[in-house]
Amino acid sequence: MNFEQFIRLHEGNGLEDVAEAAIDHALRSGAEFADLRMESFLGTVIVVMDGRTKTITTRVERGCGIRAFIDGGWGFAVCNGLDIAIVRETAEKAAKLARVSKEKAKVRFKIDEAPSNRKKDVYPCLVPPSSVPISDKLDLAMGHDKSIGSADERVVSRNTRYEDFEGKRVVANSFGSLVVTDEWWTLASCSAWARADGIVQRGHESVGNVGGYEVVQSEQAAEIGVKAASQAIRLLDSKPAPAGKFTCVLDNRMTGLLAHEALGHACEADAVLAGASVLEGLQGERVATEEVTLIDDPTIANTFGYFAYDWEGVKSARHTLIDKGVLSGLMHNLETSSRMGVDADGAGRAETYSSPPIVRMSNTFIAPGDIKKEELIKEVRDGMLIVGAQYGYVEPAKGQFMFKCDEAYRIVRGEIGQRYRDAILSGLVLETLHEVTGVADDFVLTDPGYCGKSGQDARTTDGGPHIRVENLLVGGLA
Amino acid sequence: MSTVSELADRTVDTVERFGGRTFDILVTQNRAATAEVEKGSMKQAASAIDPGVAIRVFDRGSPGFAYCSGHADADVKKAAEMAVSQARAGASDPDFKGLPVAGKATLRPGLHDKSVASLQPDEAADMLLTLVDVAEDDRRISSVNAGLMVAVGEVALRNSNGLSLSQETTSFDVFSEAVARDGDAMFSGLEFASSRRLDMSSIETVGRSAREHAVRGLVRKKIETGDLPVIMDPLASGYVLAQAVGGGVNAESVQRKRSYLSGKLGERIGAEGFSVTDDPTVEWAVGSTSFDGEGTPSLKKSVIESGVLRSYLHDSYTAGKDSIESTGNSSRGGAVWSYRSPPSISFSNLVVAKGDATTEEMIRDTGRGVYLRLTFDNPNLATGEFSGLMMESCVVEHGELGATIRQATVGIGLLDMFSRIDMVGRESRSAFGVDTPAIRISSAKVGGSA
Repeated sequence: MNFEQFIRLHEGNGLEDVAEAAIDHALRSGAEFADLRMESFLGTVIVVMDGRTKTITTRVERGCGIRAFIDGGWGFAVCNGLDIAIVRETAEKAAKLARVSKEKAKVRFKIDEAPSNRKKDVYPCLVPPSSVPISDKLDLAMGHDKSIGSADERVVSRNTRYEDFEGKRVVANSFGSLVVTDEWWTLASCSAWARADGIVQRGHESVGNVGGYEVVQSEQAAEIGVKAASQAIRLLDSKPAPAGKFTCVLDNRMTGLLAHEALGHACEADAVLAGASVLEGLQGERVATEEVTLIDDPTIANTFGYFAYDWEGVKSARHTLIDKGVLSGLMHNLETSSRMGVDADGAGRAETYSSPPIVRMSNTFIAPGDIKKEELIKEVRDGMLIVGAQYGYVEPAKGQFMFKCDEAYRIVRGEIGQRYRDAILSGLVLETLHEVTGVADDFVLTDPGYCGKSGQDARTTDGGPHIRVENLLVGGLA
Repeated sequence: MSTVSELADRTVDTVERFGGRTFDILVTQNRAATAEVEKGSMKQAASAIDPGVAIRVFDRGSPGFAYCSGHADADVKKAAEMAVSQARAGASDPDFKGLPVAGKATLRPGLHDKSVASLQPDEAADMLLTLVDVAEDDRRISSVNAGLMVAVGEVALRNSNGLSLSQETTSFDVFSEAVARDGDAMFSGLEFASSRRLDMSSIETVGRSAREHAVRGLVRKKIETGDLPVIMDPLASGYVLAQAVGGGVNAESVQRKRSYLSGKLGERIGAEGFSVTDDPTVEWAVGSTSFDGEGTPSLKKSVIESGVLRSYLHDSYTAGKDSIESTGNSSRGGAVWSYRSPPSISFSNLVVAKGDATTEEMIRDTGRGVYLRLTFDNPNLATGEFSGLMMESCVVEHGELGATIRQATVGIGLLDMFSRIDMVGRESRSAFGVDTPAIRISSAKVGGSA
């Protein structure tokens, strides 16, 4: 069965007709505003460990999440399956739940009418994953497994993960929007564990993008196993990182993670309305040095954070969050833009039909400057070069964030020296970007990843050039 | 017979028709309801119905797994077909020795609470608003965000050895973030509670604790980098030990030599006063269950006994590979089981043995050091090293809790951390699936920003 056959399997009247009937039903049940996300998707996950299949998973999902709004209160109801009777019942339930919220709510507001979009967006895809036999996908994963293993005899364990997604999403609302998205994305990642003299180190590399099976057949994709192995091997002669304040040069990946954690999350307008962002009331104020321009842009084609219409049916847009050091914008969904009196700008995203849309980032980056990265490093007397990003997190209400690198190197009088592992970097939202003293010209939008917020994952990328930051707190064991 | 049991039996036939010989099937009928408050005002009431079917098939030890959301016959068939064909696609794995044999699992008490299952949306909202009243009870609190979630799960598990089990579970979670402001100072306090039963006392406790920690953070000071004793609040020790112990003793990671605890069974890895059990039989704890995700009856076992590593955590595959019995640690994820992922090894409830010190005694005895309440960093399980942001921490000076620390990190090797546990609290709480008292590490590297 291919994907089109799968979609038709239960479609009956067509997802679009079911969606519009459900919105009508929510309004008739008392909602002032209603919207929904309806999805039907197939997915594959393959995990190969040490030359053997760990899991081959097929995901088969259909479902619908409907929101109803009444005077400051939201109701949200979710069902699996897309039969018209179940979906109508769910619409009614959402309206009932909205009444419960409205009765208890203290804050009253309206959802301002947004332009009605009736569009179909089809992500670029050359080879639909459902057209590729499972044996080919497994061979691909096994091939990566072999390439990790043959890279170096010190590799003791290996992991390869392949993941694809092929879905149809319908977003509809009571302003008349009906946006249908045919969506594909594909990912592959490799991890290697290497051992020498009783020490074990891990390396990791991934490739992924919106698009079909062609994403994992690129030249870049072919190298991920070897790159993961090389990183694990490199780290074998690393030392635990020292703790303390350092001048740090961040590589493209770490600059991206800094952009995402240091400011991106605090610029999500729902955090501001919740009274939980240190950036509240700072619009138009200087929050960074003049070198820093920070952007979130879901409209960049061929990126893992791409989307043309958001999960509320609003056309996506580029957001300039910091313009030459000045806080210049926030990211909004329909609710936050209504409450803050600005236009909706398409930053409402939901992980799947079973989650309500919340304000999210997409492709987040610091814009390039005009210095060569070698110059940034050359001027450092005693500092660190921070390479590769593992993960980060922030509490916007505390204004504190951290991000963890793959590797760190000591810089002494402009020369790169000792390699360190397991360094974390910590900063303060309102201070760290004032410490940026150099932005290089080598812009890269880096690896695909997932950002977690309120229990939902969103596919994102981040990136930027190499940048230099003074007084970053490095945490380590030494 | 319930709907899930009937569907599970029918799915056995479906999988066999597609040629499946060795398999297990999980059918779930889950529902969840949530209430959310934003800045003190009721924001959203939600409800989800989430039925699903998970099918795992083995062919020569090669696994295939497929799931569908919903119980529609056509989707279940597709999942069965895919699981069987995927199992055939993989290479053989002689380490797979089979799935658990059929047997009876004693249904444990404290898994299902009728008052959770029957909680109405307006009742949930009222409970949450009570929490908000408590959390807002200070003029410096500028915002309270909070959430309450109840979930009800009904599952039926079948396998090709004739195993046939079912159980019902509930869970109850509350969360609050209180934000305090005073002049330019701003800080937030987080608190949460989880149980399988409706826990009215947690409503007040969570609201009060979020408020108190937010207000405490308004006065902050920088500290210098140095080696200091660290008292880990149960929230911090729960978060770190869930991974350091729970992840470190995962038999899969151990067998593949990805864990710093590989090859350490029977060895001393921590101080005499450090003991940890994995106990799925604790009444009302969120990780408790009558049987694991493959149907192995649940069993309490010692993981670390007086500092000595006693057991790894196994499912049927890793146990078969080591020619031992499964420890019953195959997990289907979370307090209410999910059909969306294949089973994998996890701890149930980790329980850290209590000591005899009160928190006050631990602080007094420490003299000068830090009290770490919250970090969300993951240890590196390959190297056995931990470095993390002290998201919420206080200085300990002259045997008393002082100001909240402004921007600091903590780093230590996990084996050093376990062996430097020199004081253990006598009051426990549950955090991130770990029931733990406060513990004191005699010395760790604290990175300060002064």
